[in-house]
Amino acid sequence: MKTNLAIKTQNLTHTVKTAADDLTILNDISMSIEEGESVAIVGASGSGKSTLLGLIAGLDVCSDGDVLLYGHNLSKLDEEKRADLRGQYVGFVFQSFHLLPSLTALENVMLPGELKGDKDAKRKATEFLEQVGLEHRLQHYPRQLSGGEQQRVAVARAFASSPKVLFADEPTGNLDSENGKMVTDLLFGLNEKQGTTLVLVTHDASLAQRCSRQIMMSSGKIIESLGKE
Amino acid sequence: MLAVKLLIREIRNGDVLTLLFALILSVSTVTGIDLFVDRLQTSFTIQSATLLAADRVVRSNTAITNERMEYAKEQGLETAQKTSFSSMVFSNEGLQLSQLSAVTGNYPLRGSYLVDDDLFGAGYSVEDGPSEGDIWVSSRLASLLGVGIGDAVQVGETDLTIRHYLVRDPGSTGSAFAIAPRAVINQDDLLKTQVIQPGSRVRYSLLLAGNEDALNQYEAWITPNLEKGERWRTPKSGGQGINSAIERAESFLLLAGTLAVVMSGVAMALASSRYVRRHLTQVAVIKTLGATPKKIAQLLLSQLAIIFLVGTGLGLLLGWLIQEVIALSLASLLSTVLPAASISNLWLGMVTGLMSLFAFCLPLLMRLFDVSPLTVLHPAGKVQLKSLQLYIIALTGMYLLMVVYTGGLLLPSIMIAAIFMVAVAIGIIGYGLFKLGRVLTSGAVSGWQIGLASLHRRLMGNLFQLLVFTLIIMLGLILIGVKSSLISDWQRQLPVDAPNHYLFNVQEGEVKQISDIADNLQIPVSEWYPMVRGRVVQINGQDADLLYTSDDKEPELLSREMNLTWSNELAEDNVLLEGEFGGNVNGLSIEEEVAKEIGLKIGDTLGVKIGGLDYQLPITSIRSVDWSSMRPNFYLILPQSILSDFPANYVSSVFIDKDNVQSFYKKMADFPTVSMLNVGDLIQQIQLIIAQVSQAIQLVLFFILSSAVLVLNASVRASLDERLEEGALLRTLGASKTLIRQSMLVEFGFLGFSAGVIGALAAELSLFGLQVFVFELAPSFHPLMWFLGPMTGFVVVSIIGLYAGKSVLTVPPMRMLRSL
Repeated sequence: MKTNLAIKTQNLTHTVKTAADDLTILNDISMSIEEGESVAIVGASGSGKSTLLGLIAGLDVCSDGDVLLYGHNLSKLDEEKRADLRGQYVGFVFQSFHLLPSLTALENVMLPGELKGDKDAKRKATEFLEQVGLEHRLQHYPRQLSGGEQQRVAVARAFASSPKVLFADEPTGNLDSENGKMVTDLLFGLNEKQGTTLVLVTHDASLAQRCSRQIMMSSGKIIESLGKE
Repeated sequence: MLAVKLLIREIRNGDVLTLLFALILSVSTVTGIDLFVDRLQTSFTIQSATLLAADRVVRSNTAITNERMEYAKEQGLETAQKTSFSSMVFSNEGLQLSQLSAVTGNYPLRGSYLVDDDLFGAGYSVEDGPSEGDIWVSSRLASLLGVGIGDAVQVGETDLTIRHYLVRDPGSTGSAFAIAPRAVINQDDLLKTQVIQPGSRVRYSLLLAGNEDALNQYEAWITPNLEKGERWRTPKSGGQGINSAIERAESFLLLAGTLAVVMSGVAMALASSRYVRRHLTQVAVIKTLGATPKKIAQLLLSQLAIIFLVGTGLGLLLGWLIQEVIALSLASLLSTVLPAASISNLWLGMVTGLMSLFAFCLPLLMRLFDVSPLTVLHPAGKVQLKSLQLYIIALTGMYLLMVVYTGGLLLPSIMIAAIFMVAVAIGIIGYGLFKLGRVLTSGAVSGWQIGLASLHRRLMGNLFQLLVFTLIIMLGLILIGVKSSLISDWQRQLPVDAPNHYLFNVQEGEVKQISDIADNLQIPVSEWYPMVRGRVVQINGQDADLLYTSDDKEPELLSREMNLTWSNELAEDNVLLEGEFGGNVNGLSIEEEVAKEIGLKIGDTLGVKIGGLDYQLPITSIRSVDWSSMRPNFYLILPQSILSDFPANYVSSVFIDKDNVQSFYKKMADFPTVSMLNVGDLIQQIQLIIAQVSQAIQLVLFFILSSAVLVLNASVRASLDERLEEGALLRTLGASKTLIRQSMLVEFGFLGFSAGVIGALAAELSLFGLQVFVFELAPSFHPLMWFLGPMTGFVVVSIIGLYAGKSVLTVPPMRMLRSL
C-alpha cells in the first residue's frame, strides 16, 4: 500500500499509569508528515516530544488512536511486526549515541545490514563511514572516539539501513556547537541525497530552523505547526 | 551465523568473558572436586576391600552351597573360600588353642598376606595363601608351641610344616574379637585334619571379586535369599572403625564439595546479572534497528548455547586437569596411587553447567526479550531485573544443584536454610549498621561521611552486596574451620600413638603383671575394663525373642551375647548425650546407635541375663561412641554393684611401636591364655584416610578461596558504574583524590568488615551444627575466625574496591562521566 504520506496520526492519545492515577502524556494528536519532509518537534521538557517520536517510530504503542507508518497501522501490530517495519522503513539517531560498546565503528554501522542478512553490509558500511568522514576510524571502538565522532558513526548507522524515515532524538544534545553543526550538516545532506523523511526532536533552535516544518508541543498537545517560509 | 559473529565481537568487551569464566569456574570446581572425591571414595572402597580380602563376602555358619558358588561363576565373579575355626595345634613341646583358617590357593582376592621368616618380624607381602601341606603360624603361636620354620605341627589328624610366620591375614584384620593366636592352612588340608565335626563352630566364607555390575547383580540375587546364619558382607559392613572413618571422610568431602557448589552458584548468578544488565540497552538498540523479538530471542539463545558448550567443555577439561593435579600432589605425599578418574562422572559437571544457565542466566536473559525499544529514549522504561521470582528461581536452582551433587536432601536444605537466615540477618544487621553509620556522621566533609552516606543511599544494592560478601566469607571460614578444627580433632582422636593392640582374656591377677611389662618397655596402656558376658533378653518386660522373630531383622543388641563392663567415668572417646552417668547411678548406659535401632530411650528397662541370673535395669544414660578411636568400647555399661559379683576378664588396648613389638610379644608368651589382636593395619588405614581427606580439603579450600576472590571481584565490579559516576561528580565539584580514596575505602572497608563479622558469626554457628550434629564431635569455639573474617573482609574487599575504582582517581572526570 503506497502513499505519499510517510506518517499519519489520528487522535493519538498516550497515558501512563502512575502511583496516584493515570497521567496523560499525549492528548488527541492528529497530524501527518509527508514523504521527504523534514520535521522538527519542539517544545519544553516534559511536553511529550520524545514520547511522540517513540510512538510514531513504532518503538511503543499508543493507548488510544492510530499511528500509520507508510500506511501500516502500528497500533494494530504486535512487536514482532513493528520490529519488521522498523527494519524496513526506519533509522534512528539518539542523543546519547547508543553505539554498541563491544563493536568497532565499522561493525556498529554493519549491524543493521547484518540483521537483515545483507551480504554487502561491510562495503555499504564502509561507504557510509567515508561519507561521515570517519574512514580512518573504522576499527576504533566507541570509547576511543570523541562524542562528535560517535554521533557521526550513529548517523552512518542510521543511514546504512537506507531508511525511508530517519528519527533523531536530540541528535546534537550532547555535542558542542562545532560538532553539532557537523552532525546537522550530515543529517540534512544525507537526508537530501537519499530523499529520506526526517523527523527530529530538538531544543536546538538553529537545528529546528533548518527543517521544513516545526511542530510545537506543550502539555501533550500540538499547539502550532509552522511551515518554512 | 550472526549470533556467532556477534558473540565473537562481544568477547572483546569482557562481559561475555566474565560469564564464560564464571561458567568455567562452576563446572570445573564441581567436576574437579566430584571426580577427585569419587577417586578417593573408590580408593577407600579398595582399602576396605583389602581388609575384607575381597570385594564382597558371603559368610555362613554352614558350608557354602554349590548354588552360591555356581551363581558367582555365572556372573563372571572370581571366587575364593575360607573356613575359620578354632582348634588345638600340637607340637612336640606343647599344645595351644588357635584360631585357624583354611583357604583356597587364590585367597586373598584383594590385599595380600604379610608373612616373615623371622620370629616377630615386620613381614613382607605374599599374594597367595599357603600350599598344601604347609601351615603359617603367628609368631606368638610359634613361641607358645616352641617351634620354628621347618618344624612340623599337628592339626587334628594331619601333620603340617611351618613355612612362614604369619604377620597379617588380610581378611581378619577387622574382625575385632578373634581371640586365639592365628594360623592358616590350605583348604585342601582341611578334610585331612578331620577337625570339623558336626556341631563344630565353624565360619565359612565365600569371597567374591569382580566388576561392580556383577557384584550388584549377585547382591540383588542373594540378599533376599539369605538363609539363617548367612551374612552378606560388603566393604562398608567391615570393621566398624574403618567404616566410621570412611563415612566421616565422605561427609567432609561432600561438605567441601557442597560449599564449592554454592560458591559456583553465587559466581554464576553475579556474572549472569552483570551480563544481562549490560545488555539491556544493547538489546533495545538492536530492536530499534529492526530486530524482531523472535530474532532477538534466537540471537541471545544461540549465544547462550555457544557459551554453554564452550564454558562447559572448557570447565570439564579444567576440572579434569585440576583433579589430576590434586591427585598427583597427594600421591607424592602419601605414596599411594589413586584409582583413575572415571569419564562417566563428567555428567555432573555438565548438569552443573546446564543448571547454572537455566537457574541463573536464562530467567534474567528472557527478560531481555521483552525489553521495550523505547528504553533507548526513556531509560526509566527498563525491565525490572531484581525480583522475588528471580531470587526464588536462582535459589531453587542452587538447591537442585546441591541435591544432584549430594544425592540427598539434608545438606542442601541446611545450606539453603543457612543462606536464608544469613540473608535475613543481613537485612536486619546491615540496615541497622548503615543507618547508624549515617546518623553518627552526617554531612559531607570527610571521607568517612561521604563513604557512610553512600552506603546508606544505595541501601538495597549494598545489602545485596553485603549478602554476597558474607556468604563468600562464611563459606571460606567454614572450610577453614573444618580443616583446622574438625579434621584436627579427628586426627587428635587417632594420634600416631593410638592403641594398636587389644589385649583380651586378661585375668584380674594378670592385669598388674602385664601393666608392669608394658611399663618396663615404656608402652602406654589405656584403661583396663572388666568384661563380663551377658545377653539382653527382655525389653520393657517383654521377651526379646518374641519381639524379633525373624533372624535377619534382629537388632545388633539382641543378636548375640555381649561384653558388659562397669566404669565410674566416661571414657574420653564417649560423649554423654542424655541422662546421667557415674558410680551412683543404678541403671545402665547404652550406646546411641544400638539404642536408636530398637528405639530405646531413657527410662526403658532392659532385662539382662548374666551367668544364669536375670537383672532388670533401667536405661539411665545414652552415649555416643567414637568407634574409630581404637580403644575398648562397649554397647552397654552396667553398675559395678551387679557385675562385680561375676568373674571378669579384663580388656585394654596398648600402643606398641615397631621397636618394641618383638620384646612385648616374647614377654606375652608367658601368658598363654591372654589374647592379643593387632589392629595396627586398621589404624594405619584410617590415618591414611584422614591424611588424604585433610590434604583434599586443603586443596578444595585453596580452590574455593581463589574463586572467592574472583567472585568478590565480579561483585565489586558489578556495582562499580554507579560508584564511579558518583566519584567523578565529586571530583568535578572539587573533591580531592585523597577524599575520594578515603570515602571509597570507608565504603568498601565497611562492607568487607561487616561481611566479615556476620560471616564469622554464621560460620561459627554452622560449625557448631556440623560438629554436634554431623560429625558428632564436641563443639568448640573458633576465635581465629573472628579475627580472620573481619580482617580479610576489610582488606580484600578494600583492595579489590580501590583497585577496580582506581580509574575514578586517574581518568579525567569529564571522560569518566561521558563513558558511563
